[in-house]
Amino acid sequence: MTAIAEPRRRAVARRPRFLLDRTEFMGPMFIAPAVLYVFALVGLPFLLALYYSVSAYSIFDPSYRFVGLKNLYDVFESDIFRHALWNTLMFTIGSQAIGLLLGKIGAMLLMKEFPGRGLARALVILPWAVPISLATLAWKWMFDSLYSVINWTLVAAGLVDVANQPQWLGQQDLAFAAVMTVQAWRLFPFGVIIFLAGYASVPKDVLDAATVDGAGFWRRNYQIIMPIIAPIVVIALIFGTVFTFTDLSVVYLLTMGGPMNSTQVLGSLAFQVGILSGDVAHGAMICLFMFPFLLVAVIVMLRALRRREI
Amino acid sequence: MRMGKKTGLRTVSRRMFLQKTGAVAGTLGLAPAIGAPFVSRALADTKTLKIIQWSHFVPAYDTWIDGFVHEWGKKNGIDATIDHIPHLELPARAAAEVSARAGHDIFGFNGSGGPHLFEKSTMDMTPLVEELEKKYGKVSKIGQQVAYDTTTKKWVAFPDYYIDFPVLYRKDLWDEIGMKPDTWDDVRKGGAKLKAKGHPVGIGLGHSVDPNNSYNSMLWSYGASYCDDTGKKVTLDSKETLEVVKFVKALYTEAETPEVLSWDDSSNNRFLASGRGSMIHNPISAYRTIQKSNPALADKIFVLKTPAGPVRRLAAGAPNSYIIWDFAKNKEAATAFLKDYCAHWKDAFIAATGYNHPLFPNLVPKPMPIFSDDPTSHPSDKLKVLETADDWCVVFGYPGPASPAADEVANNFIIPDMMAKAATGKMTPEEAVKWATQEVEGIYKKWAGRT
Repeated sequence: MTAIAEPRRRAVARRPRFLLDRTEFMGPMFIAPAVLYVFALVGLPFLLALYYSVSAYSIFDPSYRFVGLKNLYDVFESDIFRHALWNTLMFTIGSQAIGLLLGKIGAMLLMKEFPGRGLARALVILPWAVPISLATLAWKWMFDSLYSVINWTLVAAGLVDVANQPQWLGQQDLAFAAVMTVQAWRLFPFGVIIFLAGYASVPKDVLDAATVDGAGFWRRNYQIIMPIIAPIVVIALIFGTVFTFTDLSVVYLLTMGGPMNSTQVLGSLAFQVGILSGDVAHGAMICLFMFPFLLVAVIVMLRALRRREI
Repeated sequence: MRMGKKTGLRTVSRRMFLQKTGAVAGTLGLAPAIGAPFVSRALADTKTLKIIQWSHFVPAYDTWIDGFVHEWGKKNGIDATIDHIPHLELPARAAAEVSARAGHDIFGFNGSGGPHLFEKSTMDMTPLVEELEKKYGKVSKIGQQVAYDTTTKKWVAFPDYYIDFPVLYRKDLWDEIGMKPDTWDDVRKGGAKLKAKGHPVGIGLGHSVDPNNSYNSMLWSYGASYCDDTGKKVTLDSKETLEVVKFVKALYTEAETPEVLSWDDSSNNRFLASGRGSMIHNPISAYRTIQKSNPALADKIFVLKTPAGPVRRLAAGAPNSYIIWDFAKNKEAATAFLKDYCAHWKDAFIAATGYNHPLFPNLVPKPMPIFSDDPTSHPSDKLKVLETADDWCVVFGYPGPASPAADEVANNFIIPDMMAKAATGKMTPEEAVKWATQEVEGIYKKWAGRT
C-alpha cells in the first residue's frame, strides 16, 4: 500500500500548480510587488540621481557627458548651498524636537477624560490631514506683512508698536523660525498619535505599582513610560526626520528660500537649480547630499533602538 | 462539484483564489489588446490640439483665449483644449513634458526659464515667424531677445508678448511734496518725504519674480549689468554696480520699511491697495485690481515710465512666448493655430486690458486701444505712456541675449539678495557685490561649456 501511495504523491508534487501551495514560493511572490514598487519609485530615481550627478546633463542639452566629481566641487563652492545644508539640518532637528514635544504634551492631555475628547482628538489630526498648500496659505496670511493676525494681536495687546511690528517672513531669524514652526505644526499630530498609541501599550498595573511605591509624575514618565514606548517613538522620529529632511513644500510656499536664502533648504535649492533653471546634474548632486545624512541618522537611531531592546 | 457549491469564505483555497483573480486580471489585462484596433482607429479619427499656459493675472484674458481656442477648434474640426496653471509651475511642467516626450502641443512660457532653455526640444519656428513678419512687421528688439537665438540664428519660439514694468504711484501724495517719481533718485528723495508722512514706497526685496525685475532695472539704469553684450562674460563687479547697491541701501533705509523683505508678487499690490503705499514698481495688474476694489483710490493712482538712472532708463519686462514641442502630435494644427491667433492679436490685447504688449509692430498700431483711450480710467489717457514701453523694456540677460545662465541668475534671486544683504547691513555694499559676483561667475562658468 505504501509503495502504491508514494508514487501518487510524487506525481501530485510534480504538477506546477502545486507551487501555489508552497510557502517558500508564495512568500517571495507576495512580497515581490512591494519590492518592485519600492525599487521603481525609490531605487531607480536614486540610481538615476547618481547617474545624473556625475554628468553635464541639463534640460538645455539632454545628452550624457561624464564629468566625474566636478559637480560636487561646484556645489561645495556655492555659499548658497553650504547655507542650505546647514539650514536643512537645523530645520529638521528643530521641527522634530518641537513636533515631538508638542505631540507628547498633546497626547498626555488627550489621555485625560473630558467632555468632547473625541472631537478634540479628531481636530488634532487636522494639521496632518489638510493639504499642505492650503495650510501654508493660511499661515502665509497669518505672517503677512500688512494683515498679520499675529501682529494685530500683539499690537492690540500693547506688546509691540505698529511701526516696529515683527516681519515674520522678512527678518532672517524670524523667517527661519516661521518655517520651522509650520513644519512642527504639520508633524505634531503624528507625534500625538504615536504617543497615544504608546501610552495605550503601557501596562496599567506597572504604573499603579509605581504610584503605590511613591513614583511621582516625572519618575513615572521618564523611568517607566518613556523606556516602554521608546521603540515606537524612535520609529516616529525616523519617519519625521526623513520627511522633514527631504521636504521643500513649506519653504517653497512660504518664503521661496528667502529672505537672502535664510530659509533655503536642500530640497528647495535642488528644485530651484535642477528644475527651474534646468541644470539637472547640479540639482541631482544637491539632492544626493541628503542621502548620507539620512543614512547615518537612521543607522544611529536603529542601533540605539536595538541596544535598548537587548 | 459539491465543493464548488459551497461558496463560504472558508472553503475558498489559496489556489482557487489565485485561479479566479488570475482569470479576472487576465481578462482585464487583455481587454486593451483585444480592443486596440478599434480604439486606435477612433483616436486616429479625432484630431487634437493641446495648449498649456499660465493662469493670466487678468482673468478676462483667460476667458477670451479659452473662447478663442474653443471656437478655433470647432471651425477647424479639431478637438482643441487649453489648460492654465500658475506661472511658477510652468518650468516644472515643461521639464516633465520634455522628459516624458509627451504632453501638450503648444507650450506657453511666462517669465524666465523659457524657450532658450528648452530649445533643443522645440520645433524651429523660423518659417512661421518670418511669414508673420511679412504681414505684421519685423519683431521688436525685445521680441528678438525673447525668442531669437543669436548663435543658431533661429527663432526658437513665437514671440507673443511682454509685460512691462512701469511706476504706479499716488499722484495726490506726490503732488503734495511737489515731485514725481521720474528717476530713481526722485524715488529715494520723494519716498523719504512721503515715508515721514506715513506713505513709504515699496519695492519687494524677497524671493519672488518682481524684485528680480525691479533690481535688474536699477542695475541697467545705473549702467551696470551682470554680463556683457555677448552674454558670456560676467561684468557684475564694477563701480556702477557698487553705486546702485549703495543707492538701494539708501532707498531701503530712507524711503521703505522692512516689510519689503518678506514680500511675494502680490504683496506690493496689496500695499498700494491699502492706501498706505505711495509708489510701487509693477505691471498695471495692481492698478486694474484696485479699479475693481476701490475705484476712488484707483483714480489717484497714475502711471509713469520706469524710473531713469544716471545712465539710461530701462526696465526688465517679463517675456511670454509660445513654443511647439518637437514631439508634438499635431505640429501642423499648432502652427495654423498660432497664425490665426496672431491675426486676432488685437482682440487679445483688448481682453488683457493692455497688460500684454505686442512684439510685432503692426499687430496693434498706435494710437493703441486701451492705452490711448481707456474708458475705465480717469483721465482716459492715463495709460498712454505705456505705448512707449518698447523703448525702455528689455529682458534678463541684457545687454546680452536671454540664456539659461541669465535665467539661473534670476531663478536664484542673486541680484535681489545682493541688494538685500547690503540694505539690511548683513554685508557692506562692497562685500555684497563680491558675493554676488562669485555666485554669478559660478553660474556662467557652469553653463559656458554647454550652450
